[in-house]
Amino acid sequence: MGEQSSLSDTPLWAVVELEHFRTPEQTQASQWRRSLRSVSSWLGGKNDAEQQVKDDSELRALPEVRLAHLVPPIDWAPAARALAQQLEGQDAPVTFFITTPYSGHASVVTHWAEKHHIACLAPPTLSELAEGGTEWVEQCVNQREWAVPALERYFLRHTQGIQGIREFLERALSGRLGQGMIGCDSWTYAFLQRVIGIDGAPVFTLQSMEGEQLSRYFAQIATHKDQPPSVYSTRTGKQVLANLKGGGHESANNVASHKGENKELQRLAAHCRGHIGLAWHYWRERLREPKAEDEEALWLVDALAEAELAADTGDIATLVLHALLVHGGLDDHSLGEVLPFSHHEALNARLALHRKGIVSSSEGRWQITPLSYASVRQLLESRNYLVDPL
Amino acid sequence: MEEQKKYARLFNDIDSQTLITLGVVLLATIVLIIVSQRGLNWIGNRMHGQLRFRIFALVPMTRLLILITALAIIVPTIIEPSLQNMVTLMGALGLAIGFAMKDYVSSLIAGVVSAVELPYRPGDWVQIEDTYGEVKHVGLRTVDIQTPDDDLVYVPHLKLWDHAVYNANNGGTSLQCVASFYLHPEHEAGWVRKALRDVALTSAYLKFDQPIIVVAEEKPWGTHYRIRAYPVDPRQQFLFITDLTLRGKKVLSAAGVQSAMLPPDAALDTRNAVGSAYSRGND
Repeated sequence: MGEQSSLSDTPLWAVVELEHFRTPEQTQASQWRRSLRSVSSWLGGKNDAEQQVKDDSELRALPEVRLAHLVPPIDWAPAARALAQQLEGQDAPVTFFITTPYSGHASVVTHWAEKHHIACLAPPTLSELAEGGTEWVEQCVNQREWAVPALERYFLRHTQGIQGIREFLERALSGRLGQGMIGCDSWTYAFLQRVIGIDGAPVFTLQSMEGEQLSRYFAQIATHKDQPPSVYSTRTGKQVLANLKGGGHESANNVASHKGENKELQRLAAHCRGHIGLAWHYWRERLREPKAEDEEALWLVDALAEAELAADTGDIATLVLHALLVHGGLDDHSLGEVLPFSHHEALNARLALHRKGIVSSSEGRWQITPLSYASVRQLLESRNYLVDPL
Repeated sequence: MEEQKKYARLFNDIDSQTLITLGVVLLATIVLIIVSQRGLNWIGNRMHGQLRFRIFALVPMTRLLILITALAIIVPTIIEPSLQNMVTLMGALGLAIGFAMKDYVSSLIAGVVSAVELPYRPGDWVQIEDTYGEVKHVGLRTVDIQTPDDDLVYVPHLKLWDHAVYNANNGGTSLQCVASFYLHPEHEAGWVRKALRDVALTSAYLKFDQPIIVVAEEKPWGTHYRIRAYPVDPRQQFLFITDLTLRGKKVLSAAGVQSAMLPPDAALDTRNAVGSAYSRGND
């Protein structure tokens, strides 16, 4: 009971040191399930959907306006406040804040910098990166305190493209640039850690969320007049959102019964490795309303059906995916620059991945789609590619 | 008459029931071997990383187990398994093997040894004499090696007895590749070393949990640099070496570092070095 109470009291936003990051319960089981699904779809073609309580044909997607009310964009301000609390008393020349793609490191660091009136440094241009120039580093010299929201914009994976960031980080880590906060994609961090060596600087990240926390979060953002909408799982027919009556906290008994009933969001948490940004995308994509006008309840369709990568994905596609993750997304030209094959081969591979829904374009950069991220990470890990620490 | 009785005691009575049993066992053995070999190879070829090598390692071992089981059923069915009978049988077999099928049987026995000692297994990159390539299949008598030129070379197992087997990855996923650069003596060696290391660090094929070493060796004609690094997958070795070579040349050329102009005798020496680098760098 004590454990259940403490679970409902756990703050949604916790910033922890990297070594204290823990994936949610059942993460390993979720990976096994994904592998099994991949193998069975490989052996017998695309899987039929699991047995469902509510048929998908009785449901339809929510209108964009209603979706915007039920699942508004994530407000990263609480995470920025949690980061600020962690940073109290920190006097290291550089502190890293890392998250996986879509999990808000750039927004959190920007919020934090605005709150503390600290200037955010502008990233170098692509031509500066391509030429390997370090002039842009000189522009950072006159700052006493500074912030970099997205370090993944500061390098390209080729010999010229790492010279600037090496110079920048060497100066920053030695304290010659004053005090800085760096937001960084977890894949970029893993790469730079090996290539440049940034051990020693404090690294923080968002702690993973368990299913119960996701349930509370989604209930909070969708709540209208103190009453969250009723959302049922099409797989189990059970309600998936927490009851927020009583100041946003459930009683211990409620938690106990809820935990037993609702494994759907724990399943989602495990699938997303507890990353709220990824879970938010699943939640937004999978909410449905009944076609029948007399029903009001919302439904969550099988949360884990995703754009899946085939087990026999070729080397070229794998290298494209890895390059996109390491750089936090790339445009077509830069993608060709960092891959060991011709631009048209890179383009063909990227187009094929786009057709399968594995990558999508955002602000001119191709990125792994949030719903494909989990399977892409698992594929890269199984093939011994460098993966992120989260 | 006495002689006939002696031979009759060596062999059991072979009636139709026994013949059917033998036929069924032989058929089952063949089917099991084919199914297990093809099935495991099929699965292994679709796997990546360490799992692929673990599955491949099962291929010869499974076949050996099936054969031993089949022999354990067949021999007592045909022969009365007494000491005298076994000695007689072994003697006769020894004579036949000694005269007619020495190399063939030697290869079969070496095949059994290879299944136990695992000097090579499917998925390994090996060099036996002048043949370098990926082990595609470990058969009863031969090991099938696919060379980088796509030739399939059948090497008899008996080479195990008196030839060295160079195994580049030994059932694992780590295979060292070597990319060589031959530079004019007039250059900033420290910068070149750093630049070549960066070339390896920024390769898309690089396996990060293995070291990168840049080796420099002074020669009469200039300096021989070697990048020693590991690709993510052993099958990427030639692409990896090509990537290192092309990007290394580009970086060095952009910095104005000139290639060495080799005299003919040194060129000969270099060709040997290239050959060994190509075959995983035994130098």
